Amino acid sequence: MDDLLQHFIVEAQELIQQATDDLLALERNPRAPAPMDSAFRAVHTLKGSVGLFDFAPMGFALHAAEDLLGSLKEKQTGFDSHVIDGLLACIGQVERWVAAIEQTGQLPPDAAEEGYRLARALRSQLDEDPAQHAADVLSQADLAWIEELIAQSGDPASLKAQDGPLVAIRYTPRADCFFAGDDPVALLRLVPDLKAVRLSARDQWPPAAEIDPFSCNMRIEAISGAEIDSVKAVFRFVPDQVTLHEVARTSPDQASDAMLNNGSVGAASGAAVGASARMLRIDAERIDRLADLVGEMVIAKNALAHLTVQLGDGLDQKHVSQGLVASQAAIERLVAELHRAVMDVRMMPMRDIFRRFPKAVRNLAGQLDKAVDFSMEGEEVEADKAVVEGLAEPLLHILRNAVGHGAEPESLRLEAGKSAKTRIVLRAYRDGDRVKVEVEDDGRGIDPSAIRETALRRGIAPANDLDRMSDAEVVELIFSPGFSTASEVTDLSGRGVGMDAVRSAVERLGGQARVRSQPGQGTTIRLSLPLTILMAKVMAVRLGRELYGIPLDRILETTIVPAARVLPVRDAEVFVWRDRTLPLVRLADLLGMELPAGAPQRLKVVVMTAGEGLVGIVVDGFAERMDVLMRPMSGLLAGMPGVMGTTLLGDGSVLMILDIPELIG
Amino acid sequence: MSVRLDGNVIILEGACRVEDAEPLLGWLQADRGRAVELAATEHLHAAVLQVLMALRPPIRGMARDAFLRDWIVPTLTGESRREPREG
Repeated sequence: MDDLLQHFIVEAQELIQQATDDLLALERNPRAPAPMDSAFRAVHTLKGSVGLFDFAPMGFALHAAEDLLGSLKEKQTGFDSHVIDGLLACIGQVERWVAAIEQTGQLPPDAAEEGYRLARALRSQLDEDPAQHAADVLSQADLAWIEELIAQSGDPASLKAQDGPLVAIRYTPRADCFFAGDDPVALLRLVPDLKAVRLSARDQWPPAAEIDPFSCNMRIEAISGAEIDSVKAVFRFVPDQVTLHEVARTSPDQASDAMLNNGSVGAASGAAVGASARMLRIDAERIDRLADLVGEMVIAKNALAHLTVQLGDGLDQKHVSQGLVASQAAIERLVAELHRAVMDVRMMPMRDIFRRFPKAVRNLAGQLDKAVDFSMEGEEVEADKAVVEGLAEPLLHILRNAVGHGAEPESLRLEAGKSAKTRIVLRAYRDGDRVKVEVEDDGRGIDPSAIRETALRRGIAPANDLDRMSDAEVVELIFSPGFSTASEVTDLSGRGVGMDAVRSAVERLGGQARVRSQPGQGTTIRLSLPLTILMAKVMAVRLGRELYGIPLDRILETTIVPAARVLPVRDAEVFVWRDRTLPLVRLADLLGMELPAGAPQRLKVVVMTAGEGLVGIVVDGFAERMDVLMRPMSGLLAGMPGVMGTTLLGDGSVLMILDIPELIG
Repeated sequence: MSVRLDGNVIILEGACRVEDAEPLLGWLQADRGRAVELAATEHLHAAVLQVLMALRPPIRGMARDAFLRDWIVPTLTGESRREPREG
């Protein structure tokens, strides 16, 4: 895919999002001037960039949207929801087209028809402009050439008898149009449903010897049986050189036909958007900072080079070692700053994923017939790109639950003395070195007794455990694997994923998920995430001659357990640690390695969390703790179970960082 | 190049682009008796077309491309119009 197209896709996605945001804002406040201007600008810019490529149907639909927005902006009459629906349908279709272009480089084959239908539907909402009418009447006298052209066509009678409109085109290309890359004949070729064509010279041809082949001297006149909009779309980049006249008017029942068709288009298309690699837009300031740091790095390197020369010249050792220490300190500081700057580049605001939610919630509430008042806070909070992007899916699922399960019917809410609309707030905020993201609703809340019952029925926890648990603990069971099953997984609240998928997605990002709920008052799901997942603290452990890393945040302590204190329980082993009985697992077994001959008398054990509980991991030795830049597994190794990532050690060897809970399975 | 001279016939092949206009004009200016063969033409850039319109050489072959056949070539063979011409 060429660069220009890639930039177009990134830009288009942003503009589509902007337009969607603005339209949703207009729906809440139909006369707000700021979103009105912004929506118009977004659609206008998008239309402009579409014009750089051969995506005429998209430009055509957007042009209609632009005209509609422009006229509403001018009249300041505000929007009714019908108009918003039409515009959102158009933007939604454009979004799907951009996704298709991202995957295949071109528009789907049915795009022309759909673009045309969308444009017709939008234009039907655009009131006839009286000024336009006046112009038509005035130029009526000038239109003899049209009659001539119709008369000249093969079958004037059938042309006149046609129900639909006829569009007369007079296209006089500018003399220098070839230099602008225009080919008037290629444009003419694009005009749908040609009925007649006449080519002539704008000025008389000069004598043969004086003809300039690169100066355009043509006039093209043509009749088309297509709608004026589709003809207009062909000439959208040369509007100053073209005049169009509608010869016959569209009959009214055709217009209503177009509206009906449009409805089916909106419903039929819902293609999944592929999760392909995205480009990252970065604040220029952050790049400048990186460039500055690299500049300083070069200076530090030059200082080292200077020292090397001095060393060669036989300078005394003390002087050189002083220089080396200073140089090392400078480089260390710079590396730390560079690291921070690179992290900064990777930071992105929550806005980038949040902005898609209002539309999703709106659609969902519409489908489920729930009245929802959705708002967002903290869109500007930043976190690492991987964290922010990794949150999109889980958050969408939580929001689906809030609309699907949390929100009650209006009548119930009014009875309970609540506002008619269910309030759902998506909120992000910084909390120390973590980011908290919560979804709060004031819906029906989670009934702990219902959870107890379900948990018992599905064997999530035994009855006596359930009895001992507090209500708050019981509610947390919604995150257990197997808790949501088919009866709850409707089409809307997720494609077969339960809250356990939410928790595991969040845990993969190094975060935690918690739920708090008050029956009748509402539910809050709170996710706590690291700002960045790149720097990880790990403890290295030795097994035979190999070193492996275990994330330090999972480790409670390291301890020595006498072999005699390990008790066999069936085919497993347990040991007692601080008055608790913990399962004991040997790392060699987990990794499927040969046990060394002869059991040691004292076992080195790492006590760590795995899933809900604690576990002791037997290793051959403890090595140092370190901060590592963890690289996620990629390529062929991406699916390798039990390994979170790798890092390079100082000696150039690779340290694998183990995902112990996954290894235990 | 989608334009070539074969004996006394100028053959336009495939999609003729703006840069084909100049050689076409040159050959026609050099010998006004030359004919132009359009059978294998898929597209005529406006610059090429207007050379044909201005100099009106004899046209040979019926373009297979429907758009050219239906709308462009007839205007060159001139059955339906009376176009001002310069010799």
